[in-house]
Amino acid sequence: MITLERFLESYKPLIAIPLVITIISLVLIATMGINEGIELKGGTVVVIELEKSVSQNELQSIISSTVPGQQVDVKSINNDQATVDITGDTDVVKISAALKETGTITSYRSVGPVLSAESMTQIYYALAFAFIFMSITVFIIFRDVVPSMAIILAAISDIVIAVGGMSLFGIPLSIASVGALLMLIGYSVDTDILLTTRVLKRKEGTITQRAKDAMKTGITMAITSTSSMVALYLVVVFLIPAAQTLADIAAVLIIGLLADIMTTWLMNLGILRWYTEARQ
Amino acid sequence: MKLKEFLKDKRVLLLIVLVIASIGAISVLGIQQGLDLKGGSTIQIQLEKPVDTATMNTVTAVLDKRLNIFGVKDVKVYPSGNQNVIVEIAGVQPEDVAKIVGSNGKFEAKINNQTALVGSDITQVKTYQVTGTQWQVPFTVSLDGANRFAQVAKGQAGVPVEMYLDDELITSPELAEELANGNPSTDVMISGGAATKEEAQTEAKSVQTLLQSGALPVKVKIVGVSSVSADLGDQFINGALIAGLLALVVIAAIIILRYRTPILVVPIIITSIAELILVLGAAAVIHWNIDLAAIAGIIAAIGTGVDDQIIITDEVLKGFSEKKGKRRRLAGVRSQIKGAFFIIFAAAGTLIAAMLPLAYIGFSRGATGIGVLSGFAFTTVLGVLIGIFITRPVYAKFIEMILDK
Repeated sequence: MITLERFLESYKPLIAIPLVITIISLVLIATMGINEGIELKGGTVVVIELEKSVSQNELQSIISSTVPGQQVDVKSINNDQATVDITGDTDVVKISAALKETGTITSYRSVGPVLSAESMTQIYYALAFAFIFMSITVFIIFRDVVPSMAIILAAISDIVIAVGGMSLFGIPLSIASVGALLMLIGYSVDTDILLTTRVLKRKEGTITQRAKDAMKTGITMAITSTSSMVALYLVVVFLIPAAQTLADIAAVLIIGLLADIMTTWLMNLGILRWYTEARQ
Repeated sequence: MKLKEFLKDKRVLLLIVLVIASIGAISVLGIQQGLDLKGGSTIQIQLEKPVDTATMNTVTAVLDKRLNIFGVKDVKVYPSGNQNVIVEIAGVQPEDVAKIVGSNGKFEAKINNQTALVGSDITQVKTYQVTGTQWQVPFTVSLDGANRFAQVAKGQAGVPVEMYLDDELITSPELAEELANGNPSTDVMISGGAATKEEAQTEAKSVQTLLQSGALPVKVKIVGVSSVSADLGDQFINGALIAGLLALVVIAAIIILRYRTPILVVPIIITSIAELILVLGAAAVIHWNIDLAAIAGIIAAIGTGVDDQIIITDEVLKGFSEKKGKRRRLAGVRSQIKGAFFIIFAAAGTLIAAMLPLAYIGFSRGATGIGVLSGFAFTTVLGVLIGIFITRPVYAKFIEMILDK
């Protein structure tokens, strides 16, 4: 029977699992690409409170008539609420006039190309500097190259896998999902710091024993964070479909937190053990 | 440690005082809701090129005036960087926004129903002057404009010059004599009188803005509109509350399953609620807007809070099981808590470091682009700071107390 201890003893091949998944994610991102939300590619999103039931096709043709030449995509209709994406700039007055018999507009969001290009640049900067600042902090805390690099590598893998998941499930890259990625840096580094502190700074017990203790704590943390995000996701999907961005945030975090269990306890722990053994 | 001793602890007292103060602040000052929660619109405007502060001030003043002329109440116009302006309008239905921002602020001056000047004729508006109860607003017009004005104004001294913004009559000062002689002049002036000096000042200022609104110093363009109705905002608030409650229930269930000690749930839930109250209280005091992004930040902060509490609990339980004898046990627990706080401070440090770039963009640029997440960064950092310095130490004390029977 394979016990947890035995499992943890053969750590070297285990490091490969998160690495392989990270590479697969990179391939996914490169081949499938990432959907961009309207903040980044420009366009319009309209949320409509329906007064009578209409089919997806009917709604689409009503709106299409007001924006000739532009693509209209009825994303969802449930709970009397419809979400519609339109490419390019639109005239909200015309749309609301056309919808007079059908429903009222409760949310309208339109982003032009200038703003979207600017947001993209800001996203790159925010993510890059967040990473740099986080890395500097980690180096200051541990003052040791290999353990610090292991933490940073785990965080990079988490982000890459989360972005890979976005590509796979078609979750759009938006300003909100960037917020989720930044939140993920925080959550991801939590467990890595817990692990590194327990393994390197504590003296009692064997490394395996210390790692096992840390794992017990870390997995509990991961389960609570993941389940609260699942709760958020379900509430949005069933009760407030108009707050789709919140569901996207939750989905990105769920993928990232699950990835983090792997990167922390297979990769980061593996590297730490390798490092402590090599030092002896 | 007994309950009495626990309640006398300095940090516990501090937490109790701060929670009461926060509840007071929230009930007296109220929580300012962001436009995405209370309903309203954000309009992002881009200038054709970057401008200096003085020009930017003119642009925001003119836009503000324009919106006021249209009777829009509760409107905020502020610059974001040196090329963008953000307009926030509360309580307006999405449909109305386009009407307001879609109007181009067409300026016309008519004498005897004949158009004398239009907005594009005005090249520069100078600062108004007030002498006693008389006021003057000098401005320059293009050569074309000067010729047309001279023709229309010829011999009409004393006749009112009716000024329209988007076909609405705004003011009608009398035509000065020296402008009615038929000779074109590019230096023009509108003057008038009022009952008091203050009134003269207000009148002059409004005419100046009006003229300027016909002549924004740079071309502007709407680059983004975002609008949420009040109904939808309420749905967002209710959804967030339900999600928060559900998350707490789920976390409580996991804690009970993991530790088999139901009483541990009490401090974890109380700490989470205390953190929520403290963040909202702080936001109420500094008049920080709570929007959807800020709610996400509070969730993130409370989430890391629960993580930290699990770390503390595990460390304390470990300290208890390893040491024998009451005194040594307590010493063991204290050193374990110290160890737990090293991890907690380190984790908080990295999270704050990761949020800094976002906070910087938010504070320097305001709510354009990724700046809408500044509320997220702010509440996360605030919540984490409140957690590590105020609520987490109390949680550690509490755990000590319930284990030390």
